[in-house]
Amino acid sequence: MFVHNLASPSQVGQGGLTRRWREHVTETEYRARRAMTTFVIRRLMQAVMVLFATSLIVFVAVYAIGDPLEILLPSDASETEKAQVARSLGLDLPLPVQYGRFLWAALHGDFGNSFVYNQPAMTVIFERLPATLELTITALLMSLLIGLPMGLWAGNRPGTMVDESIMTGSILGFSLPNFWQGMMLIMIFAVWLGWLPSTGRGEPGTIFGITTSFASWDGIRHLILPAINLSLGNMAVIIRLTRTGVQETLPLDFVKYARARGLSERRILMVHVMKIILIPIVTVIGIEFGTLVAFAVVTETIFAWPGVGKLIIDSISALDRPVVVAYILVMVTLFIAINLAVDVAYSLLDPRIRSRAT
Amino acid sequence: MKFLRRTALAALLAAAALPAHAADLTIGRASEQSSIDPQFSRTGNNQMTATMIFGRLADFDENLQMQPGLAESWKNIDPLTWEINLRTGVTFHDGSPFTADDVIFSLERTDEVPNSPAPFTDMVSAIGAMEKLDDHTIRITTNVPAPTLMEDIGRVFIVSKAATDGMTSDDFNSGKAAIGTGPYKFLSWSPNESLKLEGYDGYWGDKPDFKDVEIRFISNDAARVSALLSGAVDLIDAVPPEDIGWFAKTEGMNVVSTASGRVIYLGLSMREDQAPGVTDLEGNPLPENPFRDARVRKAISLMIDRELIVDRILGGSGIPAGQIGAPGLGGHADVLGPDGRDVEKAAELLAEAGYPDGFGITLSSSNNRFPGDADLVQALGQMLARGGLKVNGVEALPYNVYSKAATNGDYGAFVFSLGASTPTTAPLLLSLLHTYDKDAKKGSFNRVRFSDPEFDAALDVAMQEFDPAKRNALLADATVNVFAGEPVVPLYWQKVHWAMKAGLSIKGGLAEATLPQAVEKAE
Repeated sequence: MFVHNLASPSQVGQGGLTRRWREHVTETEYRARRAMTTFVIRRLMQAVMVLFATSLIVFVAVYAIGDPLEILLPSDASETEKAQVARSLGLDLPLPVQYGRFLWAALHGDFGNSFVYNQPAMTVIFERLPATLELTITALLMSLLIGLPMGLWAGNRPGTMVDESIMTGSILGFSLPNFWQGMMLIMIFAVWLGWLPSTGRGEPGTIFGITTSFASWDGIRHLILPAINLSLGNMAVIIRLTRTGVQETLPLDFVKYARARGLSERRILMVHVMKIILIPIVTVIGIEFGTLVAFAVVTETIFAWPGVGKLIIDSISALDRPVVVAYILVMVTLFIAINLAVDVAYSLLDPRIRSRAT
Repeated sequence: MKFLRRTALAALLAAAALPAHAADLTIGRASEQSSIDPQFSRTGNNQMTATMIFGRLADFDENLQMQPGLAESWKNIDPLTWEINLRTGVTFHDGSPFTADDVIFSLERTDEVPNSPAPFTDMVSAIGAMEKLDDHTIRITTNVPAPTLMEDIGRVFIVSKAATDGMTSDDFNSGKAAIGTGPYKFLSWSPNESLKLEGYDGYWGDKPDFKDVEIRFISNDAARVSALLSGAVDLIDAVPPEDIGWFAKTEGMNVVSTASGRVIYLGLSMREDQAPGVTDLEGNPLPENPFRDARVRKAISLMIDRELIVDRILGGSGIPAGQIGAPGLGGHADVLGPDGRDVEKAAELLAEAGYPDGFGITLSSSNNRFPGDADLVQALGQMLARGGLKVNGVEALPYNVYSKAATNGDYGAFVFSLGASTPTTAPLLLSLLHTYDKDAKKGSFNRVRFSDPEFDAALDVAMQEFDPAKRNALLADATVNVFAGEPVVPLYWQKVHWAMKAGLSIKGGLAEATLPQAVEKAE
């Protein structure tokens, strides 16, 4: 796009130049693509190393915390039962052997069975992941749809009452402890007003064979409070980011030119300024999404939301090692994938970064 | 004709007056089962759920006392032979009749459930051979005389042979194999969320008051309380002690509190020659382990004000204890009360034992195992300091870290708990106070390594006694004798609480179970 605008062949209109331009573009594009491919491959290799290291650290860490047998067995279990369980779960083997077995099976796609549920760890996790994704995606959308306009509004009218109240509100948004805020939401909307339910997912509906809260009114009602609780902190971040972006961009020359051309303030803000400030926001959203999935645990606990956050806390208390290890590997993979996607998207959005890559 | 019409009309009216379902009941429960397979794990959470869906040879009431269940009666022909008469006319949820084949199948399956994290192995380890005499009579031969055979096999849940043969634990979770004889039929389970049940019309016992039941799993205390307040659930268990006073005062709410079988005790390790964390007044190791002297253990017990702990730390949610087995369990010694606080006596005993100026001690505890555990250990530290010991430190750790270290013997003085799940105190005494013997599988939770051969012998004699009443008397005697030497320092038995909407009531007790069949409409 960049090159095309500066030296379009139709402007130059000479055969030789056109050919040179073509060669030039092909060469640049080729190099850019190759750079991108190398970049992606290198990142994937790093990802494999990270996953390997994570699995080792988590495996050893969970082993070091305590003995799952102490927790799994009832308090009147005998030594016979203890030995039987240790044998059947493979806990009687030395740690390196246990890890070796885990690694070998993991390379074949088997991450072991949960000690507690006796189901494949991945099944246990993926059974609960959709509920968490639903919650986090809703929270993310809410924080975007509310945070972005509020930030634009505040940034466009700095120093006014509106700006002051939005900024004060956003300070509350990320400084209130999540669990306390959740309890307040429950007290107000579920206990006093009785408008919204506060526990569980209700009766989710089914669309195209997928069970989701979005498909039934009851499901949506159950989703509202936890999603608000999860989105408030994020919303505050987006408001502040947008406001700063707007304030930094408005004094720039291109805005003055746009004004001089007689464009409406509305168009300047919504189209031209927006384009510039969206780039950092996209990056933040990518990172925040991963964080929301991984740390939805507080909200899930308070609202008894059957997601992975609750699972991981329970699994750590029960020292259910296969689930803990598999969960962390899934989360690491998610973070790596999001980061990669953000980096790629970033370079696609911003021509300057793309040209730097070559 | 007229008569017929009148009868038909009456029947119609009666049918109209009765709603299709007795009522709906939604329970908010703190803990969740890990499987619907009743033989997968015998942790309390799993047994609680299994009791709703499956029957057992013996029924255990809310105070863990045994009554005939699927076995109507049993008799001991000789010390090694038992004859069990099964209840007739009992059907499984799929309508098939319950017979001796199901019992034999269930008992054989008990220790063969793959990857069970807490098998029922010990419950059936005494069985030598099983013989079906007819469809409703079984003869069991044991390897050794087993006076508590019915208590043991009575705890095993009976599954349907036809529905379960060749099935895995997963098939129970999907409902395919979840066919029992219990008061409720399994409808569905969404892990971390809810369990749905429906009353079984063909249940042989008393029909529960509520037919359509949903159990929601809400582990967070505050979330569970708010679920009851917002009307999302009708009843919650494990109500935090600090909320009890508030619930009791609130209009439209009802609270049920009972003692549980869980005892909280202070262990004083006699394992090593030097107890970890125990020092002289300058912080140097002592030449010997003071906890090996019964007078020192008794002195520590006398420094503790149990009433104050129960009153101030637990908000009344405890009963001061002077032994391990709670009142109501067979073998509880009524004559044995809790020690009162007596600092002078404690000082005398310490001086007699050769520590007139006391010694240094470190106290350890979990911080997330039972309500108030971290506060408890701090209070104990203060009480021992006032009693004349020098408290070097108090530490409270998460249970998953703490339990392993406690079992390894890393602590000198440590707070631990032990729950009861049997009708008598025998298993508690056997695992906590019998001499630690890995090969004989005794004393498996004797973390302090207390050892008293006389007590071991008395316990063995009691365990050989076939007459339950005599056995309980022997257990009580052994308890009185062993607690003269303060093997561990019992602190209190926990109280547990349920809160519910007015108009409901629950039969709660030592079993700490929250069962839909125990919920009643209060008058």
